[in-house]
Amino acid sequence: MKDKKKGHNTKVSTSGGVLSPSKLLLSHLICGIGLASSFWLAINVYSINLIDNPAETLRLVWLIEVPVVILIYSLFRKDKNQSSYLKAVARGLLGLPIGAIINALGAIALGAPIGTHYFQRTLNWSLLMSAFTFVPAACVYGSSWADWQQTFVHTKLIGIMDYMICLPAHGAVIGAWFGAWPMPLDWERTWQEWPICVTYGAIFGYLVGMLGSICFVGFCVSRQHKKGD
Amino acid sequence: MSLTEWWRSKSWGDQRWVFMVFFSVLLLHCVAILLFTSGFLLTRTELPHFSHCSQVSQSPCGLPVSSPQSNHENVTCWTKPAVDRIVIIVLDALRIDFVAPSTFFEEKKPWMDKLQVLHKLASDPESAARIFKAIADPPTTSLQRLKGLTTGGLPTFIDIGNSFGAPAIVEDNLIHQLVANGKRIVMMGDDTWTQLFPNHFNKSYPYPSFNVKDLDTVDNGCISHLVPTLYDDDWDVLIAHFLGVDHAGHIFGVDSAQMIEKLEQYNEQLEKVVEVLQSQSGKGGLHENTLLLVMGDHGQTINGDHGGGTPEEVETSIFAMSLKKPPLPIPSEFDASSCKLDLLGRKVCVSSIQQLDFAATVSALLGIPFPYGSIGGVNPMLYGLVAGTWKNLEEGLSQQKVKEWMQNYAKVLCVNSWQVKRYIDVYTASSVIGFSIDDLKHVEEIYAKAVNTWSNSNSNSTSFHATSSFDSLKTQIDLYSNFLSSVAELARTKFTEFNLRTMGIGFGILFMSIFVHLLFIVKVDRVHKDVFAPNETSPVSFALIVSCVLVAARACSFLSNSYILEEGKMTSFLLGSLGVLSLRHSIMRKKMILEATTFILIISILRFTIELNLSKQGSNEVLDSKMYVADVAPLLPLIILAYMLYKSIASCKLVLKLVITGSIFSYILVALHWILESNLSNMTHPIYDVIKGNVIPRVIYIMGITQLLSLVVFRFFEEVERAKWGETTMMKGVAMLSTWSSTLMILSGRQGPWIALALVVGGWMISRLKGLEEDQKNAKIGVLACYSSSVTQWSLFGSFLFFCTGHW
Repeated sequence: MKDKKKGHNTKVSTSGGVLSPSKLLLSHLICGIGLASSFWLAINVYSINLIDNPAETLRLVWLIEVPVVILIYSLFRKDKNQSSYLKAVARGLLGLPIGAIINALGAIALGAPIGTHYFQRTLNWSLLMSAFTFVPAACVYGSSWADWQQTFVHTKLIGIMDYMICLPAHGAVIGAWFGAWPMPLDWERTWQEWPICVTYGAIFGYLVGMLGSICFVGFCVSRQHKKGD
Repeated sequence: MSLTEWWRSKSWGDQRWVFMVFFSVLLLHCVAILLFTSGFLLTRTELPHFSHCSQVSQSPCGLPVSSPQSNHENVTCWTKPAVDRIVIIVLDALRIDFVAPSTFFEEKKPWMDKLQVLHKLASDPESAARIFKAIADPPTTSLQRLKGLTTGGLPTFIDIGNSFGAPAIVEDNLIHQLVANGKRIVMMGDDTWTQLFPNHFNKSYPYPSFNVKDLDTVDNGCISHLVPTLYDDDWDVLIAHFLGVDHAGHIFGVDSAQMIEKLEQYNEQLEKVVEVLQSQSGKGGLHENTLLLVMGDHGQTINGDHGGGTPEEVETSIFAMSLKKPPLPIPSEFDASSCKLDLLGRKVCVSSIQQLDFAATVSALLGIPFPYGSIGGVNPMLYGLVAGTWKNLEEGLSQQKVKEWMQNYAKVLCVNSWQVKRYIDVYTASSVIGFSIDDLKHVEEIYAKAVNTWSNSNSNSTSFHATSSFDSLKTQIDLYSNFLSSVAELARTKFTEFNLRTMGIGFGILFMSIFVHLLFIVKVDRVHKDVFAPNETSPVSFALIVSCVLVAARACSFLSNSYILEEGKMTSFLLGSLGVLSLRHSIMRKKMILEATTFILIISILRFTIELNLSKQGSNEVLDSKMYVADVAPLLPLIILAYMLYKSIASCKLVLKLVITGSIFSYILVALHWILESNLSNMTHPIYDVIKGNVIPRVIYIMGITQLLSLVVFRFFEEVERAKWGETTMMKGVAMLSTWSSTLMILSGRQGPWIALALVVGGWMISRLKGLEEDQKNAKIGVLACYSSSVTQWSLFGSFLFFCTGHW
């Protein structure tokens, strides 16, 4: 079992040769900075915030976050030999609406409010969620169903790349799920409305997931080094 | 085969313990729920009796004194009328610290000392005005409080009476007595009053109280009518109910600018009211003998909540001012008030009164019969405040005068006590759960003592009025007050206090039943293991953990009021989460993806329809006459399903076949019922008059009971084939379901057929999805892990469907 895992690891690192822990750290950092800068822009330049103008702010955030994510993750596309960088970017762009639809359907199944009043908010929220969950995988895996299944259904993570996609995505979804819990409370705050606290939860979970993936990969690599010695 | 023989028979022997386990769980649950609810659900029976003027002759008190000096007294009922008109201004959720000066409290808060006009009047020696701290009884919600104030009783959330659904008060009450005795009432403000008293007011200006966020509509309505009405002479009692403070509390809390704004507005309005009243209070004026009452119905916490029994919620206030001059001091023996200087150095006194006493005191002041169910006593301070209760106003204050007042008061208390005694006797005789015998005996003794003293002092001296001493009068009054307060105390323990002991025992038993369950599960698990999986099993799986976490989260959510209010959404959220997880699981196993998707779809569609229906109800859309097609449509697949079931049953099982046929017939009847309901209004044929009403539902109920009975009887004559236990259990389950289905469908209204269809499809999906766990690794999983997720799904789905039947 151990041998098998090790074999996989070496295989990924040799075949890809693209992704080292430092690169992972850097790409996560850029994604995080993109997220932070979008909020900074929203508050300081457009003077909108998530609580008062959820739809507009969410739109701004995903408009900035999506290009960042697509451009970075397309660098690490798995089928380097067959597809070009541009193709990976196109896959990411295609993945965005599909992921948004899946996220929106999930949210509605769990009780997101429906109606014209909430349409804009749900749309923008699901696009942002898609940027957290679906778009990176679309860029990296493309149409390889086996890879998708391995990461999202079986959560059998083999390479660094898998950690980089899987943990933040799961973190965002689980964070959003927990973020919905304060909604029924009778505190009468605006941030309890859909999808403000859910977004907060998702972003928090996403950040935790990124941190987790960095730690995990760092830990694995250091152990490997020790073993190697 | 006789029943005992059958019981002992070997073929059933090892099933007996299974039966015993289920029976004991059922028994434990029943006992626990019964005990808990008997302690928790405070109930009170409403009596249909009413007080009448003439009944006072049955009392031992003699006829009311009509003094020779009073010139306008021709008719006296139970007591001598002391005021002609009453203006009642109700300020909803009026805390005592809104009214009393801030020096009465530890710390001055921003919302205190805002109703300056009341301080001024209460401190003015020229006016007969006083601030009372009124203690309300829980539940401190407006409807229950208004009911309590007018009936003089202690309303509970569940009053067993004639009014099903409609909030109108059917008990005897102050308003009814006012109308019955020819008083004319004007009402303005909160429309709760018109709901409680639909036909009692001569004139009413109700405003909707529903929208909590609206601070001004009700108040502005009141303000626009209040002062002009004061100049009219076509009323005897005016009720103005302001809601702004309550709503400001709910939305912004007590410590908010909006609250202070509201209080300042009230101060201004009260100033105007007092000005008008005082300008008309001269001899022969409109308000020569008027009583002004400014009162709250309950208090509120700092956050603006109310309903419970904390001091903040129950302490409200009554400000009373009699306009008849001159004001007289109450005999110091009965004056239990505390006086302090306010911030401006004026001496303000605050007395105390029970809200329970309000109805009796106001009745006594107006001279009308006390409401039949009133258990309050006439409050001496509020009663004595009104100059009309005194005689010989022109003379100065003397010992003789005080004595006369006390005689009058003693007489009022005598009538009061007689009426309360009559009520508790009749209540005990006619209600299901009356007062306990010991308590009644105790109260009886006190009453007998008081009445004895009364008749002794009346018979001993030929001229009672002249000779009875000051001390004996005081003893008499004390005896009656003692009786009234002990009755009030008794009633409070009965109607307002939860019986914590029975609640605790019930809860404990309920807890015990969980252990019985666990014991049973462990035992079955062992049996299961022996039969199916002899090798080691892993007791914990991902699904088990998720189920436990979700069930625990749901259980914890019941600790919070907000989650209970949103329980429907909560269950749909948890159910949706489980659905998404099982979809993931099914993708992992690469099978039953369709089932998992259907399950999620059902949940979403149900939620959509609920929200759609809610928004439709909100907009009061007129129902289309063709709507019944949508209501009836789901019955078709159900009938087809039942027919398929019928076909699949082996021909030897005649009873089962009959039961299923009955179900099909019932379904057709349900469809017929809804079609008729929608078209009935435009059909005039006489046959529809027969069908109209409850004929079809009754037929369906009878059929359901017959089906159930035949199933039970059939059960006794059935040979148990052990080999096919799985099949027989399934068969019984389906038969039971089809028996219940039609009855439940008609009970849950128009959406019934839809819910039934959703239940069938959803249930099928859940049982299919169970297969995901079952054959995984050749059943290496224990019972607990195998069934946990489907059982959780079932329970959540069940409560979700309950909320879909119009309980969202």
